[in-house]
Amino acid sequence: MQILLHEIKKIFSWKILLLLLFVNGILSFLLIEFDIKYFPNGRPALDSYRIGVEMIEKYGTHMDEDDFADFKKTYEVQLEEANHYLQTRKEFVDAGMGTYEDFRNYDRNNKEQDVLYDKVMFKEPVDMLWELEERSRLIENYKSKEISLEHYMKDANAKQKLRFNELIEAGHYPVYPEVAFANFKSFIYHVAITIIFSVVLVLLPIFIQDRSRRLLDLQYTAKKGRNLYKTKVAAGLISTFIVITTLLITYFGFYSLNHTSMFFSVPIHMFGGDFYWYDPTFFQYIVLTVVAIYILGFVFALLAMSFSSIMSNTIALIGIQIPFVIIMIKYGVFYMMRHIISIWVPKWVVPTSYSVMLVVSVVFIVLLWKREKKRDIVL
Amino acid sequence: MIIIKDVSKQYGSFSVLNNINLEFINGVYGLLAPNGAGKTTLIKMLATLISPSKGEILYCGENILDMDEGYRTLLGYLPQQFGYYKNYSPKQYLLYLAALKGIGKKEAVNIITELLDKVALSDVMNKKMKKFSGGMIQRVGIAQALLNDPKILILDEPTAGLDPKERARFRHLLSELARDRLVIISTHIVSDIESIANEVIMIKNQQILYKDSVEKICASLEGQVYEASIRYEQLDEFRTRYVVLSEKQERGNMRVRFIHKEKPETEWQPVTPHLEDVFLYEYRDEIEVEV
Repeated sequence: MQILLHEIKKIFSWKILLLLLFVNGILSFLLIEFDIKYFPNGRPALDSYRIGVEMIEKYGTHMDEDDFADFKKTYEVQLEEANHYLQTRKEFVDAGMGTYEDFRNYDRNNKEQDVLYDKVMFKEPVDMLWELEERSRLIENYKSKEISLEHYMKDANAKQKLRFNELIEAGHYPVYPEVAFANFKSFIYHVAITIIFSVVLVLLPIFIQDRSRRLLDLQYTAKKGRNLYKTKVAAGLISTFIVITTLLITYFGFYSLNHTSMFFSVPIHMFGGDFYWYDPTFFQYIVLTVVAIYILGFVFALLAMSFSSIMSNTIALIGIQIPFVIIMIKYGVFYMMRHIISIWVPKWVVPTSYSVMLVVSVVFIVLLWKREKKRDIVL
Repeated sequence: MIIIKDVSKQYGSFSVLNNINLEFINGVYGLLAPNGAGKTTLIKMLATLISPSKGEILYCGENILDMDEGYRTLLGYLPQQFGYYKNYSPKQYLLYLAALKGIGKKEAVNIITELLDKVALSDVMNKKMKKFSGGMIQRVGIAQALLNDPKILILDEPTAGLDPKERARFRHLLSELARDRLVIISTHIVSDIESIANEVIMIKNQQILYKDSVEKICASLEGQVYEASIRYEQLDEFRTRYVVLSEKQERGNMRVRFIHKEKPETEWQPVTPHLEDVFLYEYRDEIEVEV
């Protein structure tokens, strides 16, 4: 236990902690900050978010025909308000935009109309007019939900068609605004990248540091001997858990500023933008991605430790590890996080990828331990 | 206690040690050979860092590799070069190594205080090691080797970096320790072991050349070592005719110490052979190559 704690302390040296802070500062600025600072990102995203919140408050996690009728009624009331608003603005009446319908179908080439449109939509701006546009889009979506699904089915393969039929039979149509869920998918993907880089950074020196300092002679001739290798791996995995958990708490703390918790109980098939093999709620999807991040974190930790164990010097280690991580993120993690249960990736691909990566990384470290047990410590 | 049985070590086609057989009981053993002769390989095999390609090393009849931690519990080892954490104090460093040696923290603190006193580092026990001289680091190394009060103490070039005073203190410490344990010192510095080793082992051409007491090894050159004063101009020719062991200037002439196995000349003075004479004589080819 004393040795394990000591090895963990060695991993979290003040230099590594500073570097971790620096790298997280850079990556959160480049990747994560946008998903927090600019949520909802302009208009109509803001209106989409507001209407989404209102829909959940009024209709709950599902929307039936009665709910839709109520939604349409709200739209019509707001439409009347908009008409009244435009009627009271003389310049709009004079310009031929006295009703919402005229306003919406304004002529872009008509300078007067264009200036007026720009004024109430962007300069003042009038929330009601933005909301009406979004409500109108959602009503159209709802009305064309079956046609939309059939359109997607045209290019689908047999398994995807089966899933689409399942959704149709269950009446699971994407009728709620997707803005909150799409924001989370982007946020968690960027968090996953940041965490993977952080884990790799923390564990890069784990074996190479003692080896290059020629500490093995003393470590391996002590009672603990070469079993220290296993203790170091354990220390590496515990440190990985600490890094992942700390960063997840930190970044989810930032994410809470987005105020999306009201969407958490909604099944993800209710949100537009994508289709999925399974029907978890938003919250269950968050849990799934968190579990995925832990798995990816441990996989990359084991691989980082393996590289640290076999590379001859730090420069070579960085030279191998960084391109490896970038390639893995670009071609692996992208699908494994952003499309974790997406219908557009074959159902078996993501779980198989996770299993293969986990097995390969475990087998790799076990083989290296077997090598270490018998290796001649020459230098 | 320790038996090295038919041990060979090869790296591919390159043979470092060939068919080595040795037996160690309590006392000080000096492993003497020039650099590159295989001393460190043999030492590392005794420390379980390198496995023999052939043969086995037994402790009380059991293979040391099979004994695993049972053997390492008995072992104290000082490598030729060893690593340390620059920002650690000797106390922190020794506490870490004590933990690796299975010594509890409380017990370790007392042992460390005592050992640092023995190696004259008490006053810097809490100072960072990055500011230490080579000699001080070496003394920390000696202290770590003694942490677990080892029955077998293996020291590879232990006096490297020590000044004459520290060497003397170290030799005294070793003599004290060797009373009830096995101490194996690998060195190419003859004076390190000449006065304290019960037996000296010399390796040549991957095999054991001598394993005997200093007196018996020196006896191999009895009546063959001479000293003579010659003129400086004669030195080159003298070197080609005899195995010159040492040369020094003396009142305008050269005082040479050399080996001659046949009838000596009258002006030559026969002298008692020293271990260094045997070392220089036996390894004359390797030493010339090194020079």
